[in-house]
Amino acid sequence: MVLTHDYLIEQINLNIITAFTIALIGVLTYRSHLISTLLCLEGIILSLFILIVLLISHSHIVSISMAPLILLVFSACEAGVGLALLVTISHTYGNDYVQNLNLLQC
Amino acid sequence: MNFTLNSMILLSIIMLVSPLLYNMLMPHKTTYFPTYCKNMIMMAFMTSLPPMIIFMLYGQESVITNWHWFSITTFNISMSFKLDFFSIIFIPIALYDAWSILEFSLWYMHSDIFIHKFFKYLVSFLLTMIILVSANNLFQLFIGWEGVGIMSFLLIGWWYGRTDANTAALQAIIYNRIGDIGFMLTMAWLMLNSNSWELQNIFSTNMDFIALLGLIIAATGKSAQFGLHPWLPSAMEGPTPVSALLHSSTMVVAGIFLLIRFHPMMENNQMILTTILCLGAMTTLFTAICAITQNDIKKIVAFSTSSQLGLMMVTVGLNQPHLAFLHICTHAFFKAMLFLCSGSIIHSLNDEQDIRKMGGLFLILPITSSALMTGSLALVGTPFLAGFYSKDSIIEAINTSYTNSWALMMTLIATSLTAIYSLRIIYYALLGNPRFSSISPINENNPNLINPIMRLAMGSIFAGFLVTMSIPPMTSITMTMPDMIKLSALLITLAGLAIGMELNSFTNKLMNSMKHTTNFSNMLGYFTYFTHRIYPLMNLYSGQRIATMLIDMNWYEKTGPKGQTNIHSSMSSLLTSTQKGLIKVYFMSFLISITLALMFASMSTNNF
Repeated sequence: MVLTHDYLIEQINLNIITAFTIALIGVLTYRSHLISTLLCLEGIILSLFILIVLLISHSHIVSISMAPLILLVFSACEAGVGLALLVTISHTYGNDYVQNLNLLQC
Repeated sequence: MNFTLNSMILLSIIMLVSPLLYNMLMPHKTTYFPTYCKNMIMMAFMTSLPPMIIFMLYGQESVITNWHWFSITTFNISMSFKLDFFSIIFIPIALYDAWSILEFSLWYMHSDIFIHKFFKYLVSFLLTMIILVSANNLFQLFIGWEGVGIMSFLLIGWWYGRTDANTAALQAIIYNRIGDIGFMLTMAWLMLNSNSWELQNIFSTNMDFIALLGLIIAATGKSAQFGLHPWLPSAMEGPTPVSALLHSSTMVVAGIFLLIRFHPMMENNQMILTTILCLGAMTTLFTAICAITQNDIKKIVAFSTSSQLGLMMVTVGLNQPHLAFLHICTHAFFKAMLFLCSGSIIHSLNDEQDIRKMGGLFLILPITSSALMTGSLALVGTPFLAGFYSKDSIIEAINTSYTNSWALMMTLIATSLTAIYSLRIIYYALLGNPRFSSISPINENNPNLINPIMRLAMGSIFAGFLVTMSIPPMTSITMTMPDMIKLSALLITLAGLAIGMELNSFTNKLMNSMKHTTNFSNMLGYFTYFTHRIYPLMNLYSGQRIATMLIDMNWYEKTGPKGQTNIHSSMSSLLTSTQKGLIKVYFMSFLISITLALMFASMSTNNF
């Protein structure tokens, strides 16, 4: 009996890491709107969440089962902070274009 | 013989001190004091004659060391007098001149209420001069040196109510002080390197270039060589007896005398000799050029003195100190007489010093004018008068020696200019028609005026011959030379006389009035206008800069409020200017550097 190994789990990992990389590029490169940064930030967090859940379910490491939930909690706080900043900026400037941010003033 | 010489010289010096003691102890007895001074100087002269005769007959020199003054560890200073060739001959001549001049000032300063103070100053000047001349160590010489400087200051500023006199006295002090720096340099060098200020000890060692340069600077200051010369014409602000005693025969030769004293140190150092030669040549020509267009009779004679001092310097530079000393002795006679004659003219014309306002005095003042002519002839070197023996020997020596031809040319031109300015005095003051006002108290009937002039006239006729025939020859001079060289001094002087006659008849008609060369000569080569303004201006500028810019601005403003604000605002603007809120650029740089780092990391593990 030969112990074979199928590459399914690596392919899934590659897929999710690709999603993470695309979202990262989306955070770092944007044209004019600040909200696209926040959206892609959510994408990063989502891909990280899925990676951790897959890791737990595939390799049966039960002790870090709380980690995805904690990640989700902190991402909610962070999304809230990001949205508050966005609201403040659009309160000052009326839009969320990033070229307004050269005065370093909220 | 030793006892006679020493004791008579010391007695002669003590006789100079006694008028000063008399005035110190009994200051209220002033009516007879001037005549007392004159009589004491005459006695001192008579007392100093036997030592000179003893020296001429037997060649007896001596050094008198009296009193141990002080010692600083190994450095001893004592009071000592060196009576050698130079001082034994100079002291009687100086006393003879002083006797004549003191008698003259009895007439000249007769109406001055402080005449006793004047005589006190003259006697103390004479005392310090004798100390200078007979000093055996540099400390005593320095005492005499400073003493003549101080007395010169007091006597030039005798009429101190006049601002020009005060300025001239201050100028004399400042220029002499600059010369004193050189003297102190030499003294310091000698103290360090040969541990003695006695002349005997110094003469057995070598002296470096820098020490001899100090002596040259001292001579430049005291003897009014080019560079430190303006004080001598300005010193004519003093009374005529002062000009006759100090600034023609006695004080201004102190610098040359110092160089002559140190001639054993300089005779092997060709660089020093060349320096002295060129300096003297420059002086003699420059001052002779300045003399030919002056309008004040005393200034012409002052420049004549300066030119002759340059000639003495040239002689020292030719390694002929004994000829220079001979010229000092003969020059004392006829220059003092020239000053006394000009004093007689000035007083007779009611204090008129401008030669353009004199004239026709030839028949009115017979004794003065004949003495003036004799003195001028002696000055230009007429054969067998006093000046001939020294001046002609100097011209022969410079013509036949291996020397700088530029210096030779300068000296010869200056010799011809001597004739020109002497003729200028005679032509304007004595000849022609009178140009002064018709009411003038001209007379010559006071024996106090006539006797000094006659005495000095006898001296300027015979002294050259007597001194030359009596002193022992110290150097060998060239006796054989071509005819032209031998007669060169005489020919140049005659050429100068002819040119002078031409020039005088020109300038009489004001044809030569405002040309550039006339202005250059009349205004002393513009030397004073350059130098007297620059140094005070630089000092005032730097003082103003230090006070306002350096201290006020820097300490009160730049390290205080203004400086702090400048530093802080510049720092903050520098820092904030880098942060422009370029978020996109920052994110892009982050992305690129992450990518590159990952690529390098994966490539280095070689795992593809």
